[in-house]
Amino acid sequence: MGNFWRTLTARLSPGALIILAIAILSTVVVLAWGVPGRQGMTLWTFATNHAEMYVPVAEEWNARQGDPGREVHILSLSGEALEQRLLPGFRAGTPLADLVEIGTVICAKCFNGPVNDVGFVDLTDRIEEEGIGERLNEPSLGPWTTRGRVFGLPHDVHPVLLAYRADILEDQHGIDMGEIETWEDFVRVLGPLVEDTDGDGYVDHYLLNMWETNGDLIEVLILQAGGQYLNEAGELTVASEINARVISTIVTWTAGPNRIAANAPEFDNAGHQMRIEGYVLCSLMSDWLAGVWQQQLPQLAGKVKLMPLPAWEPAGRRTSVWGGTMLGIPKATEDFEGAWEYAKELYLSLDLAKELYERAAIVSPVKEYWEEAFYQEPNEYFSGQANGALFLEQAPMVPRRTASPYNELAKTKVINATVALKLYAQEEEKYTVEELLPEAKRLLEEVELEVGRQMERNLFLKRDEEEGS
Amino acid sequence: MNLSASHPRWAPYFFIGPFVVVFAIFVVYPLFQSLVLSFQQTYGPQTSVFVGTKNFADLAGDPAFWTALRNTFVYAAASVLIQLPLSLGLAMLLNRPQVKGRAVFRLVYFSPALVGIVFIAVIFSLIFQETRGLLNVFLKGVIPGFPQEFPWLQVYVMPALVIASIWMYTGFNMIYFLAALQNVDRDQIEAAVMDGANRRQVFWHVTLPAIRPVAGFVILLSAIGSMQLFELPWILLGGAGPEDRGLTVVMYLFMNGFQIGDLGYASAIGWSLAILLMGMTWIQRRLTKGGEGR
Repeated sequence: MGNFWRTLTARLSPGALIILAIAILSTVVVLAWGVPGRQGMTLWTFATNHAEMYVPVAEEWNARQGDPGREVHILSLSGEALEQRLLPGFRAGTPLADLVEIGTVICAKCFNGPVNDVGFVDLTDRIEEEGIGERLNEPSLGPWTTRGRVFGLPHDVHPVLLAYRADILEDQHGIDMGEIETWEDFVRVLGPLVEDTDGDGYVDHYLLNMWETNGDLIEVLILQAGGQYLNEAGELTVASEINARVISTIVTWTAGPNRIAANAPEFDNAGHQMRIEGYVLCSLMSDWLAGVWQQQLPQLAGKVKLMPLPAWEPAGRRTSVWGGTMLGIPKATEDFEGAWEYAKELYLSLDLAKELYERAAIVSPVKEYWEEAFYQEPNEYFSGQANGALFLEQAPMVPRRTASPYNELAKTKVINATVALKLYAQEEEKYTVEELLPEAKRLLEEVELEVGRQMERNLFLKRDEEEGS
Repeated sequence: MNLSASHPRWAPYFFIGPFVVVFAIFVVYPLFQSLVLSFQQTYGPQTSVFVGTKNFADLAGDPAFWTALRNTFVYAAASVLIQLPLSLGLAMLLNRPQVKGRAVFRLVYFSPALVGIVFIAVIFSLIFQETRGLLNVFLKGVIPGFPQEFPWLQVYVMPALVIASIWMYTGFNMIYFLAALQNVDRDQIEAAVMDGANRRQVFWHVTLPAIRPVAGFVILLSAIGSMQLFELPWILLGGAGPEDRGLTVVMYLFMNGFQIGDLGYASAIGWSLAILLMGMTWIQRRLTKGGEGR
């Protein structure tokens, strides 16, 4: 050893010796640095406002626990960051939280392996045994269910209504919005407003925020109409008559002489400006979006009202569904019982339902709270309407969705089909639904083939299907 | 001085050892694993099925992959054919001693490269916004009757991507050309001029051959960078764009690997791209070698 040291100091320059010393020292420090031991349970959420609401609940819970191992710590991560931690955690065993709150898109990605390998604990039996299923709005369980098993508690219902500029439509033009029952009525009653009144050569108002590239809004309308991309059995239903009719209608709204829609994206300055100026008069409005508007568009306070969505047919469904969040418990948790107790306390609590509504305008999926007074309070932003009560009126009718990792792919491909259909309409100058329907069906059949080819590749889903059948 | 006495035989291994270990763990092993993965369908390390060459066979019959490949090649070709001549032109302009304020111009042209590609994408999404975008507002102001809305990012997907990349990388590549131009032998240029060569002849027969190795390197770098295009369309178009017109190979890899979770298929896409890039590098080296030989 002495000989090695003498050789080293004799042969290496002082600079090289310093580098070597730093390398050895830093290695020792890194190795000796204690990794803080995990204490209690952790909850990951992707929404900062959710985290802010959950902290008081966690503090109250922690104060009641005698055992520090049962204390809950809330960690807010961006959606991307959460996904980048969650999926490797499930697939490669990297550290995970005890409770994880995620949206529909990430959740669907957790479902593309064998059902036994889904990283969340299967909660189906617990939900049934403890009577929780009866307390919840049934369609709200859909996005968290795969192959008949439920893997999370729903956070919300997210019904969709129509928000409209009451100051322009009712006060300025004297239109009775109650006359509108269907989308056909919507176009007939409001259509005359799509014109250039000031003579500058540009249309002053469009009726609806809708565009062929907006996959969320296309899906909202497809779900409202009773369509879907995949059914409960996980089979593709993209090329259905209903879906074809919806995308054809959207194209007639966004192109041609009878165009009524404009593209005013949400969370976007240009989009907000179009809403403020009344360039678009109506928007599809989920409860969470009502909360976003109140924060981001104070200029519209007192100018907007809500009404049920126009139906696709007389006496048809007057709502749809848009977005969603769940709370799941990863199998890697060391204390499932603790995590489950906390999940119920958090998601089924009246206090949180009230907080969720007051802070974010989101209505709870727990049906027994739907009659609570706070949902009935008038809201000045929506011209004195009780937005909670209006959303809840439609909550039981929200369409049930299915969870599939291929839903997102289908959604992207349906956008492509709708864009292609619009180009077809413009080239052929065909601007009625009946004229567009055959081409819409053909395009959707192509989408179905393409997505089907991808699904066909998934041996795990096929194996589960075969075992199930 | 006796070198072998002052530098023991193990010294080189001692110094390259840490790099080799890190390289083996973080590059060689993952590369090998991704190759294995490309022959599997997997759902995490515990759940995988060997599928042989199925991933590659499926890829060959996958129209989305071919669309992505076509888009990527079109973008790469446009980038190289438009951007590099522009870079060279700017470099030649700023290499002239008569141009005043050359240092300022160099900084100005290079500065877009200091901004991250994500910011560039966000800036261009504001420029190309279809109703209230800067471009539309400007055009409506100067052209009477210009449409109220013009969906640039739906109609001109590839041109929009190419314009954004030109804005970002032209100045960056200009620096390489500028460095090369400053190393061109002045004596040769003067000799050519004295022999009666005009400017064009000097450029083609003296300047261009002298900067050929750097030009070859810049072409290769641009082509490889273009083949790896991902963030720009992902943010500017919010995904693959209408009818997949902004879909690139790396984006398709990301979508399969991280959105659908099919890591085996994503690895097959990655290896296909790697083979393509190796082929391009080989061709470039052959061409440069040929040029040097002459």
